[in-house]
Amino acid sequence: MAPAMPLRIAVAGKGGAGKSMIAGTMARALARRGHSVLALGTDAMPGLTHSLGAPPSLEPALAEAVEPDGRRWRLKKGIGPVRAVQRYATTAPDGVRLLDCGTPTGRGADPVYASISAFAQVIRRLEDANAFRDWTLVGDLAAGPEPAAVNWAPYADTWLVVVEPTWKSVLTARRIARITRSRAGKSTLLVMNKASESGLRAAEQMLGERVFASIPADGAVIDADRAGVAPIDHSPSSPAVHAIERLVEALERASIDRMVKS
Amino acid sequence: MKIIVAGKGGVGKTTISGTIARSLARSGHSVLALDADNNPMLGISLGVGPERTDELGTLRQALESGEVAHQPSTAGAIETFGTDAPDGVRLVVLSRIDRADPG
Ligand SMILES: Nc1ncnc2c1ncn2[C@@H]1O[C@H](COP(=O)(O)OP(=O)(O)OP(=O)(O)O)[C@@H](O)[C@H]1O
Ligand SMILES: Nc1ncnc2c1ncn2[C@@H]1O[C@H](COP(=O)(O)OP(=O)(O)OP(=O)(O)O)[C@@H](O)[C@H]1O
Ligand SMILES: [Mg+2]
Ligand SMILES: [Mg+2]
Repeated sequence: MAPAMPLRIAVAGKGGAGKSMIAGTMARALARRGHSVLALGTDAMPGLTHSLGAPPSLEPALAEAVEPDGRRWRLKKGIGPVRAVQRYATTAPDGVRLLDCGTPTGRGADPVYASISAFAQVIRRLEDANAFRDWTLVGDLAAGPEPAAVNWAPYADTWLVVVEPTWKSVLTARRIARITRSRAGKSTLLVMNKASESGLRAAEQMLGERVFASIPADGAVIDADRAGVAPIDHSPSSPAVHAIERLVEALERASIDRMVKS
Repeated sequence: MKIIVAGKGGVGKTTISGTIARSLARSGHSVLALDADNNPMLGISLGVGPERTDELGTLRQALESGEVAHQPSTAGAIETFGTDAPDGVRLVVLSRIDRADPG
């Protein structure tokens, strides 16, 4: 397969909108289409690990990449994005690499803060890292507008804002989209999740704009969640997984269109 | 009594908080509903409505603009600053993130 043109995507939205499910399934689907994929778990919750089907890791591993520097942490000598991924990323099926900012373990906050600090420093260098120029990056962000406001995905050229057909989710998505659209050179696309066909129309009216893609409410996703298995492994031919595969193809086309225009 | 509601994203924290606040108010309690999420949506679950919820001023804004700075106490600030929700619940929104952080 010819190497695919790399995508740089951040997934944001209200709590529980389906960010991790969509980011993880997208990452797997992109890998199957020939992308080298680095998934970035930017939420201190293990959602992305589950949706990718990556091995659970109990340690905030990246904490080892930094050393104290006064009251802060700095990356140890010789550790940049390449080393960090080599040493601390896990490998999910289809060859997706997952770099996670770490989940609180209940053994005190220090390793988690060290890990988050290391993660922040690594992703800031990712956009300019030659070694990752041909990699597709997919970031799963924490809930709400804060990760967009402080830009927890500096590498992203496309923000996917996941929205459910409810007012709380719609107001949140609008707020996130306003923030990401206030920065030049980024594309912001809305993705409806868990809507029926009739619910989609109503929700687009609430949003005040058309969505880029819609992923239906799908019992198979809930079953996969209960079984602790990635949706793409549990129900590869379910409506939600199919819709995400179509979303991924549409993103590839949009990215080529942007290239041609610029 | 003082109740804090916490949990994973989207599990129903706001829905449960809003409904607890309303039902306590209905059984005679004076209720202060404090929205401490920087994406404040408690107004919707309390029945304030989406448009109003989206535009509610926040305590942080009021303090920064000096609107409530003369209040001698937090209680006073809440008194002057809160919004009335149905059943007499008093809603106070602490802060809201709605623009890109320049730093
Ligand atoms: N299309 C769908 N159909 C049915 N259930 C779904 C769908 N998408 C997601 N879900 C379910 O919704 C819940 C939330 O999904 P997920 O954890 O991916 O959301 P999130 O936005 O990452 O949440 P958080 O804010 O906590 O990180 C999960 O139980 C998931 O299985
Ligand atoms: N018992 C329930 N039955 C059905 N739907 C529910 C129930 N509780 C909550 N919901 C729905 O789940 C969604 C998420 O609820 P809510 O916004 O209250 O969660 P939250 O934990 O406050 O989310 P966030 O992490 O984004 O603040 C809403 O659409 C809400 O209507
Ligand atoms: Mg998540
Ligand atoms: Mg909430």
